[in-house]
Amino acid sequence: MASVLAPRLFVTLAALAFATSSASAQTLQKTAGFPERNISIIVPYGPGGGSDQVARAWGTAMQKVTGVAYQVENKDGGGGLAALPDFLARPKDGYTLLQHTDALASAEAAKQIDFKLGVEVLPLCITQATFSQLYIRPSETRFKDWASLLAYAKAKPGEVSLANIGVEGSMEVVQVQALEEAAGIKLKQISFDKPSERYAALLGGHTDVLFEQPGDVIKFLEAGQMKPVLSLLPDRPDAYKDVAALKDSGLGSVQSLQRIRAFWIHKDVPADRRAYLEKACEIAYNSPEFQTFNTQQLMHLSRSYYNASDSIPLLKNMIATYQKYMK
Amino acid sequence: MVDFLNGTIALFGDPLNAALFAGAVLFGLVFSIIPGLGPVTLATILLPFLAHLTAAQAIMILAVIYCIGVYGGAVSAILFNIPGGPENAPTAFDGYPMAQQGRAGKAIGAAITCSAIGGTVSAVMMMVGTAYLAQWAIRAFGPPEVFALIFFGLSVSAAVGADTVWKGFLSVCLGLLIGTIGTDPAGGMARFHFGQNYLMAGVNFIPLILGFFAISEVFIQGRSMALGIHVPPKIGIEFPSLKEFWQLKLAIFRSTMVGFFCGMLPGIGATLAAFMSYAEAVRWSRHPERFGRGEIEGVAASETANNAATGGAMIPLLALGLPGGALTAVMVGAFQMHGIEPGPMVLITSKDLVWMVFVAMFFANLCILGLGYLETRMVVHLLRIPFSLLAPTIVLVAVIGAYGVRNLLLDVWVMVIAGIIGFIMRRSGYSMAGVVLGVILGDLGESAFVKSMQLLDYDLFAFFGRPICAILIVAGFVSLGFSLRRGLKRAPAR
Repeated sequence: MASVLAPRLFVTLAALAFATSSASAQTLQKTAGFPERNISIIVPYGPGGGSDQVARAWGTAMQKVTGVAYQVENKDGGGGLAALPDFLARPKDGYTLLQHTDALASAEAAKQIDFKLGVEVLPLCITQATFSQLYIRPSETRFKDWASLLAYAKAKPGEVSLANIGVEGSMEVVQVQALEEAAGIKLKQISFDKPSERYAALLGGHTDVLFEQPGDVIKFLEAGQMKPVLSLLPDRPDAYKDVAALKDSGLGSVQSLQRIRAFWIHKDVPADRRAYLEKACEIAYNSPEFQTFNTQQLMHLSRSYYNASDSIPLLKNMIATYQKYMK
Repeated sequence: MVDFLNGTIALFGDPLNAALFAGAVLFGLVFSIIPGLGPVTLATILLPFLAHLTAAQAIMILAVIYCIGVYGGAVSAILFNIPGGPENAPTAFDGYPMAQQGRAGKAIGAAITCSAIGGTVSAVMMMVGTAYLAQWAIRAFGPPEVFALIFFGLSVSAAVGADTVWKGFLSVCLGLLIGTIGTDPAGGMARFHFGQNYLMAGVNFIPLILGFFAISEVFIQGRSMALGIHVPPKIGIEFPSLKEFWQLKLAIFRSTMVGFFCGMLPGIGATLAAFMSYAEAVRWSRHPERFGRGEIEGVAASETANNAATGGAMIPLLALGLPGGALTAVMVGAFQMHGIEPGPMVLITSKDLVWMVFVAMFFANLCILGLGYLETRMVVHLLRIPFSLLAPTIVLVAVIGAYGVRNLLLDVWVMVIAGIIGFIMRRSGYSMAGVVLGVILGDLGESAFVKSMQLLDYDLFAFFGRPICAILIVAGFVSLGFSLRRGLKRAPAR
């Protein structure tokens, strides 16, 4: 597991590389006086969480590019949907942006929202995209890797418990559903709504397996308290060469669903302002500060930036997959 | 001891660190008095600035804000029935009636002293046992044990503040019902949301307590004034005597343990600590009927426990990287901002940081004592303001507080509706404390119950196969039986 220690070195190197880059701290010429005042980012989750952190890090980077401050407004609840009415009601002038995750795509698939992504609400950019893994305790004696876990789960259907998010149609549930179907196993999924409770359940021995993204549990990996057994990616990423992936486990048919964190804007915002913010997002994403932040969260292990036009096919693909499993 | 001394020198030997400590104490106090602002808001406002400080300074500031913030909301809860934060809500159950009876000084004095004792003792326990206790807590307490603990707390909630036990039960049931509004904790299905996305998030707790306590009180006092029967509260700046504190010794000890323990459980934190400790104070009291009507032990239980939870909550955060609540989650963000992942390695690789934080929390809790006494001498006199002038201010602060939680107007409406319902219920002898206990314990209890059922293959009797669960559930049923017996005994007399 020495490979997971690489991020620390990578952070240093990335910071050095970007610090010497001429593109760093680049500012963008305003477009017809826009922006002239602070911009609000509505975050549909509480302070301190992954979404809040990425919104604040991105806001700080955007401030350097656009010259105005970005204020984070946390409006949590309803699985991220409680923030939407307020976002939709704000003036369409480019001074209000929405930060949201793949939960928005899942909500469209479940017909929980009355607007279409990419039509009424447009992605500005995706600044984080990452894959998920299954983790066990290193002290686990019944299984030690994916092959033995699979054999155990097949021998004792429904006995292996998995700490996961319980929201029907969420990326987490759909991904595990697809895995169970392809592998021919049945896991006992336990619905934890708070990440800390999920992690404590695995560490405390109350559940056997954890479904999570590597960046969120890096500290447990570095401390040797959790061990990845399966990367839900077609091929093994460089940092996890010793961990099974989908193709080499005979699970090539399972589509790898990503955890994305994106910034959104309303379609009625004037096109020149949208274009300005899209460009600013790209510069902010590439800034040393944001790259350091993203690398700390292991976002460098797979592609984590999508501009506005690249985001739409990715989202459509996700929505189609969610719909398939919701039927 | 050497670590403690080194931490003290690092904190107070450096003028910048000392100044940051003092600033955190002061701002923490100011922000925690206003509902809806609170320590979490202050922490998130400060977060970008903390990037420019060292990691030790940043975490120290947040830890101090946490300790002070948990106490600060007690004063407004006692004087005006406006809990500064949800963790101060049980303080209002008895603190406000005490203020109305001319015992505001005693209530605030008890709140200050108990907060300081609870916080300081928990800081010492945190220093001694972080590494070991964190592992023990997460192993011993899974979802079934958490559910059993909450059931145990809920089993006495009917005894608080209502005219009869039956009205107490109905009050708790209303609270449990309100707690079911919103997304269910298992499958994420929306319940009772009437097609409103806002309600999918459930009814936020802060507007609810502002409505039930502050707004309903404005209605009740307004009615008294309209009928010409309004009696202004007496001003009492007399502090509790040493004898009174000595009588509270067991309550303070029990509440420190309950608070510290609740703080250690991820996802539980200071709010549940205060509620659970209050419930235990009712259970162990010889006069449970006095609770909700101005019992000093109620204030002591709540305030001891919420501060004791701060030390407890730092244990899973520092030892395992598991934040127990919103403010400790912000601390994780601050750690990561400085390239540090809180977890077992922090205790080894960042020992200086950890001890400076421990020491800062220890002294922040001691500061509560000094600052609190100074503050009390001044703020009690606010009760001299005629209610006709005080009422609009209370409503204004409550509206700001309700709106400020999520910047949603819906929360202001929730507060107003809760105020009207609270007014009617209080006049009919129902218990607002019972409703609020039902909401907070029901919400957490349902979440723990759902997980337990999934883990135990939907076998209810499996709870009794786990020793801690079995003891807590049996004790809860016994407690419930006593409440019912008391209700049946009193019924014929009424």
